[in-house]
Amino acid sequence: MQSITTAVQNSAKKLLEENKVDVVIGFKKGTIPLRSTPVFIRDSNDADKLEWNYYCENNLANYLRNKDQKIGVVVKGCDSRSIVALMKENQLTRDNLYLIGVPCSGMIDRKKVNRIIGDKEILETNCNEDSLIIKTKDSEQTIKLNEVMHNSCLKCNHKNPVIYDEMVAEPVSENSNTDFSEIKEFEEKPAEERKNFFIEELSKCIRCYACRNSCPMCYCQECFVDSTNPEWIGKSAENVQDNLFFQAVRVFHLAGRCVDCGACERACPMDINLGLLTRKLYKDTTEMFNTEAGANLEDAPALSTYNMDDPQPFLLKE
Amino acid sequence: MILTKKDVPNFLDSLKNNYQVFAPVKQDHYTEFKEIENGADAVLDYSNTKTPPKKILFPQSEKLYCYKVEENGVQMEEKADEQQKVIFGIRPCDAKSFTILDKVFDNNKYQDPYYLNRRKNTILVGIGCNAPESTCFCTSLGGGPFDTTGLDLLLVDIGDCYLVEVISEKGKNMLTSCKEAGEEDKKKASQVKENATLTTSINIEGIKEKLDNNFYNEIWDYISEKCIGCGSCTFSCPTCHCFDIVDETADSGGCRIRNWDSCMFPLFTLHGSGHNPRPSNKERFRNRIMHKFNYFVETNDITACVGCGRCIKNCPVNMDIREILEEIQGLEARSVS
Amino acid sequence: MEKEPKIVAFLCNWCSYAGADLAGVSRLQYPPNVRVIRVPCSGRINPLFIINALRNGADAVLTSGCHPGDCHYATGNLVARRKFALLKNLMDYIGVEDERVSFSWVSASEGTRFAEVINKVTERAKKVGPNNGLFNKESGCGGCNQ
Repeated sequence: MQSITTAVQNSAKKLLEENKVDVVIGFKKGTIPLRSTPVFIRDSNDADKLEWNYYCENNLANYLRNKDQKIGVVVKGCDSRSIVALMKENQLTRDNLYLIGVPCSGMIDRKKVNRIIGDKEILETNCNEDSLIIKTKDSEQTIKLNEVMHNSCLKCNHKNPVIYDEMVAEPVSENSNTDFSEIKEFEEKPAEERKNFFIEELSKCIRCYACRNSCPMCYCQECFVDSTNPEWIGKSAENVQDNLFFQAVRVFHLAGRCVDCGACERACPMDINLGLLTRKLYKDTTEMFNTEAGANLEDAPALSTYNMDDPQPFLLKE
Repeated sequence: MILTKKDVPNFLDSLKNNYQVFAPVKQDHYTEFKEIENGADAVLDYSNTKTPPKKILFPQSEKLYCYKVEENGVQMEEKADEQQKVIFGIRPCDAKSFTILDKVFDNNKYQDPYYLNRRKNTILVGIGCNAPESTCFCTSLGGGPFDTTGLDLLLVDIGDCYLVEVISEKGKNMLTSCKEAGEEDKKKASQVKENATLTTSINIEGIKEKLDNNFYNEIWDYISEKCIGCGSCTFSCPTCHCFDIVDETADSGGCRIRNWDSCMFPLFTLHGSGHNPRPSNKERFRNRIMHKFNYFVETNDITACVGCGRCIKNCPVNMDIREILEEIQGLEARSVS
Repeated sequence: MEKEPKIVAFLCNWCSYAGADLAGVSRLQYPPNVRVIRVPCSGRINPLFIINALRNGADAVLTSGCHPGDCHYATGNLVARRKFALLKNLMDYIGVEDERVSFSWVSASEGTRFAEVINKVTERAKKVGPNNGLFNKESGCGGCNQ
């Protein structure tokens, strides 16, 4: 981690000194434990603020659209895939980007940590090779890293950036196949149980739209929830049906574009299990149409293309 | 007065006879204020709830009235909430926030019946903070871990019981069977209060003038750069109070609903013409800070922030209002443009 | 009297709508529960239309277009097919009954088949009962029964 931090800092410093980019977007230390925060570095002297750790949870591709500057950006696997997906939608120009690639070993899921330690304030954290040490007011606890990794990170099979201008460290080994066991398990449950689960989860929703806004692919000029004519959906957070309706349409709109980075779930202040929805669409697009969003520059996004022999299990049985 | 911890569930159950009782309860790994079914569900040993209890008096979505078109005309039904309520275990910062909301909903121009009805029927039983969190900065805004502003009773945790400080007549009437506190208990309570120290503070002295002079400062470009424009901060803020009124209709009926709105959303200021006077995050974020630390001070003589720290903890990109205020404090008093 | 189900049908202009026409001029009988919305192509159907029909109280929704390969606009229904496949799965996943959302390809010459499809969809809607489920706005509107 420390070596990656240094390499990122050096790279950013060099880019800014040589005027190759106007700004470098990366992460710096956050103001509370278990947090890093996006930072925009314009002066090469500030490059040493940059950091790399297990808390760089935001998808930085979110900050790249509609900028007329040359941007250097620190990318992990998912960020780079989102950039690819955005390039395919003509939202980004490759020439205006300098991608500082970082092999990612996963990000820590704060809510998993909180579930383990309970409603106690975390005062300090420390990471070593395979564990996380949490200090609270009156205790110290060591947790295995893979117990608190984000779900989408545990299942990730693109930990290394798919495109980059430079890599700051040796690539990490990738998961060989995509694991959708969690989704398959959920699919097996009775319909009533699935429905009730979502209703329960979405009753926590406060309609802050952090899920939408944290997503690099959610860039509609006017989101369907904000539209008043037609009014597709009610605006009250009290209405669980509408909350679920919002999430269903949101994830549907991301089908074939979502790279399953998990930024939406991480952004949710109410810790709603959104991964179960996003990953379902990710699984279906992968399995039915044999494409992975943002995995390469060649494939067209799943929903903007077709095959003559696409499956059609949805048809009415006659 | 003294209330032992093991008596709390019974006390709450007995309150339920006359009141709707709200208390922090567990939801996932955090706590939220909810109406309790059993006194035992209340969790009083909590840091602070995920979202503030303002939603009890000023719900996120509130039906103002409903109507139904029937053969013999239109049936209207006004939604009035007359139930007596107790919010038990509220933190002093949240209690103080109600005194700020009062200024919005009850002033010489407007009296909001929906809020005020609930407000007058609600008793606030606070619990002091023996261990304030690192994100707390209430003392910087005139509050404190044992501040009694807005409260009717304040509980001070002194081990196996709570010392109850009586603040109002309303509160006093609730305590019928509590015994008096002894000298020993009082000593313990003052010890607890002394030990509760905050680790962070911010200086808001003169911030209003700084904001006045720096509306056009380029700092706003940088401060708001990482903001993604969601409503996490406003919806988790105990003093944010902006709302939007919508009609939700089905074919033969509908409701007029008041929903929380957020100044961080583009829709908040979007005109019918398509023009938006606050077109980007920069203007929207600036407005959020200006409203809390400048406009509200101007109109109501109090800062619209109680230092609960929720916006810091709930922000998806770790925007920290303390840092932002510090940066603003660092500005020259004179405007640059 | 049993409440008759309300069914919304999105039919493409070139095939399924013409199929419905043919069923009409051939004087074929089919249940009157269906309300037809004519769209230029099944590719025009935003999944939101389907969800919104359910949300506003439709008991079932039928979506129908040209057979794959026969699209008037060459590929409209092929692109739509992928959306429909995902939508159907997602609806099922979040617990919407299978009978609420139906898809079928009906060509302009298949008047008989159109009548059969409507029969089937109506029968399914009756079987599953009124839509008090997930996306029904009326049931969603809290305690005031509105």
